[in-house]
Parts: sequence; C-alpha cells; structure tokens
Amino acid sequence: MYVIVVGAGKIGFYLTRALLAADHEVTLIERDPRVSENAVEEFGSIVITSDGTEPSVLKDAGGERADILISTTGRDSTNLVACQVAKWSFATQRTVAVVTDPDHVPLFKQLGVDVTISTTDLILSHVEEEISGGPLVHLLPLRSDMGVVSIRLPHGSPAIDCEISRLDLPPLTLITAVVTHDGELRPGDSGLTLAEDDEIIAITPPEQERSLWQALTGGV
Amino acid sequence: MSRRVMIVGCGRLGATIADALLERGDEVVVLDTDAENFRRLRPRPRLRMIVADGASHEALRRAGVESVSAFVAATGLDTINAMAAQSAQTTFRIPSVVCRVNDQARRRMYEEFGLKTISSTDYLAGLAVEALDA
Repeated sequence: MYVIVVGAGKIGFYLTRALLAADHEVTLIERDPRVSENAVEEFGSIVITSDGTEPSVLKDAGGERADILISTTGRDSTNLVACQVAKWSFATQRTVAVVTDPDHVPLFKQLGVDVTISTTDLILSHVEEEISGGPLVHLLPLRSDMGVVSIRLPHGSPAIDCEISRLDLPPLTLITAVVTHDGELRPGDSGLTLAEDDEIIAITPPEQERSLWQALTGGV
Repeated sequence: MSRRVMIVGCGRLGATIADALLERGDEVVVLDTDAENFRRLRPRPRLRMIVADGASHEALRRAGVESVSAFVAATGLDTINAMAAQSAQTTFRIPSVVCRVNDQARRRMYEEFGLKTISSTDYLAGLAVEALDA
C-alpha cells in the first residue's frame, strides 16, 4: 500500500518505521524543519519538509495514488484539515486522524474522517478494564453510524452460560462471531452458549456500544 | 437588529471586525490564545475578551458559543479557522458562520462544504489587479 503520514512527531516517526518494515511505501510530511531533520536522517528522501495540510504539498507527495492518509500531529485542527484535504482533493480511500481531545471525535466523524484514534480513549479503555469488566475494543468503523467492536467476557459476566438468542441486545446490534476462550472461531448463531473469556465480535452503532458492553459484561 | 457574535482571533483582522460590529451595536465575544492581542481593542460594555483556544470545543463552550447567533474564525492560521468554524457550524449549529481561509484550494473546498469564507489574499490580489488596470 502507499501511505502518506502527516507529522513526524513520536507517533508519526515510529509509525513510518513500522510501515516501512511491513514493506509499505511511505511518504512522511513534517512542517517543522527541526523535527523533520531527525526523520530525514532515519528515512532519507521519503521525508518532505512542508505543510501536510496544503493541497499542493499533498499533490507533490503523490496524493492521487495514496491508499491511505494518516495524520498524527499533536494538533487536532491540523489532523482534521489534512484528512479533509486528502478526501476532497484526491478522494483518498481511508483517512485516519489522531484526535487528542476525545470531545472532538464526533465532529471528525461527521466531517468524513474515516478513522479517529483518540489516545485518551484508548488508555481509558484499558483503565476501565481494570475497574470493571472487559474492555470494548474498536476493531473497524464500517460507516459513520456503525462499527465492529470486540468485547471479552470477564469472570462474573451475566452473558456467561447464556445463549446468544437470550441476550438483551441493544437495537441495530448483531453478534457476528465469537472467538471462544480456547481460541476457536464460531459464527454468532443464536443457539451458541457463551462462556467466560469468550471474545464477542459484534456490529453496533457507536451510541449503542455502552449498552452492548453492559448487556454482555454487566459493568457500569 | 443587534446580535451576539463570537470572533476567534484578535489579530488586526479580528480586532477590526470586532470594532465594526460593536459600532453597529452588536454584542461581541473575542477569543485569542494570547492576551497581548487584546490591546488592539478598547474595553467596552458590550465587549468580552477571553483568553481561549477557538479550536477546542470545551473552550468554545466555556466562552458561551451556544448563546451566539453568528461566528467568525479570523486567526492567521487556516487550520485553526477551519476547525473553529466547522465546530461552530456542525457541533454548535450557529446559524451564521464565516471562516477566513488563505489557501485558495482549501477555500474552494470549504465553500463546497457550505462555509462562508473570506480570504485577504484573494481580496487584495483582486484590488491589486484593479489598481493596475485603472
């Protein structure tokens, strides 16, 4: 794949390194010469020292043939505009934005950013795991109003020993598959009985995620 | 008819817009991340100056964005203006939103997204060409 990464801060730098190691083609764009110096030293000519929110810069970076643009700067406004420009100018298939303030996530989604990554939410989901129940992990956004999530059933969950058909699931929610505690992949048939440590893969609208998580784990 | 307007950015443009609106009798809330910039404005009863980041929902909310009927994003940075203006339009549903955009291609994009945009570059370039022809 051809990936454009905007921002050579910590996230952009290590992301670029990982993408290259996985044999992807990458262009890394960083506006600040002091920051990009380090990236040029490591990655050489794939680094462009310029403003990744400028349509002309993205064009020079080969925006037309990019499969994905990932904006990783520490500024939400920069990440939003980089994604919007890529979508609008080049119809980039997938745009991904790091969002520092979780409050901004709904706006990014409404404005057409395909994937938002909120580091705050990610860390929080792990903290919540420690407090009550298993975490809810976002696997894949399907559309702005629907996504694939995974929930592991911790000890004491009300869904344990329960058939899928008997679960009180929120509206527009479908359990598609279950990775059982012993690692077997099963389709989410209504007659399947759930067990502790099963991982439930479900499709659900973002606003129902919490109810789904509560229905399965009993957590609050 | 007087109304309440929020302006993000108290540079020369933001301050001049604020003055013009106050002159007309509007109520104005001006946001800037740098308090130094407020020296451009003379304190008046219908003017509030708040040190805040217009690209943050939380900051906009605290500054009372939900009570204004018009919004202008007028900083020197296109990205900050785009974020602030789209927040005002999409998240806070302010009926009238104006966004300053300097880059021409981005200006076309935001116009297409339904934002009213202004550009000093385009405006001044037009004036320069007119002056040459005169």
